[in-house]
Amino acid sequence: MNARTRSLGGWAVMLAAALVCALGGWSYTQARGDDTLAYAKARDAATADGRSRLARLNSMDGTSAASVKSGLTAWLAASTGPLRTQLERTRKKDTAELAEAGATARGKVTDAALTALDVRAGTAVLIATVDVAVTPRTGKGGTERKRFEATLARTGDGWKIKALDAIPVGSGG
Amino acid sequence: MTQSGGTTVQDTSSKPEREPEREPGTATRTGTEEGGTGTPRAAWRRVLAATLAVALLAAGAVLFVQGRHLRDTPATSNRALTDTAGTNRVVGDVSSALGKVFTYNPRSTAATKESAKRLLAGKALQQYAALFGQVEKQAADQKLTLTSQAVRAGVTRLGTRSARLLVFLDQVSEREGKAATTAAAQLSVTAELRGDRWIIVDITSR
Repeated sequence: MNARTRSLGGWAVMLAAALVCALGGWSYTQARGDDTLAYAKARDAATADGRSRLARLNSMDGTSAASVKSGLTAWLAASTGPLRTQLERTRKKDTAELAEAGATARGKVTDAALTALDVRAGTAVLIATVDVAVTPRTGKGGTERKRFEATLARTGDGWKIKALDAIPVGSGG
Repeated sequence: MTQSGGTTVQDTSSKPEREPEREPGTATRTGTEEGGTGTPRAAWRRVLAATLAVALLAAGAVLFVQGRHLRDTPATSNRALTDTAGTNRVVGDVSSALGKVFTYNPRSTAATKESAKRLLAGKALQQYAALFGQVEKQAADQKLTLTSQAVRAGVTRLGTRSARLLVFLDQVSEREGKAATTAAAQLSVTAELRGDRWIIVDITSR
């Protein structure tokens, strides 16, 4: 190995290193600027947030006034926009009624899918089926199956429920 | 690049001697006057070049791994909603299939059964066959008509050959001479792409 080949080798190593760096940078910026990837991530985030918040809105511990109060606080935290405004407006009445009834409900989302997602506007529409296990203060409880369409809005604290509709039968397509 | 540049210069000047290139130690280089001033500089350049090469490699590797990290999430393999045309197609195929197989009247049970054989497969077809034996009898005995329509449908997972959906159905049943009643049904459906059509392979009631 003479100096010439060694110098060529040095150049080659340098070039290879520069190439690796450039490729790495290219790969990274591709991933960074991939709109489809960002969209897919927003979809999964909206679905996950929507599921947990919908379960929250279908749950209530009515055993005591304090538990009802914290349950309603959780409802407010899961909602935003019009739904939140409405819940805030009826909060006093809800507290009294729920404490009076004393029933406990536990909602579990059994399946959920987004039907629409607009990342720019930060809105999404989620359809979901929920099993609500209700335990009344006295007597035997049961499980209700419900189906919902929830409109989600992106907030600083993830996706929250802006509007919630139980889809009644015969509501058309 | 500095490393090789430095050696090249040194190389041309010391070529006739042949020795310095084999022994790059200080002793041989001090023999030539040019080499004497160039040596520390060349060594310095070599170190710099090596550092730069390592830095470039490291930066490239870090960027690559970061990029992989961004890309390698379960989100990427699921094309639900990201592939608009594909999503609409599977929703259309599955919605229309469910409408067809859960719609019958006393005179059309044979036709419904036929379409089920085309639109369902695997476990879904078995479940359906078990169910439809009763339904067929009921439809004839009680003159029962059932009409199903998908009112909402969303895709939870869309792959190249298989998909999972959640479908809300409205089912209107009518006994001859009686008022119609509407019931809701929610189905989690697994579908597979066979040929150019999505076929339902599993149905779970929610």
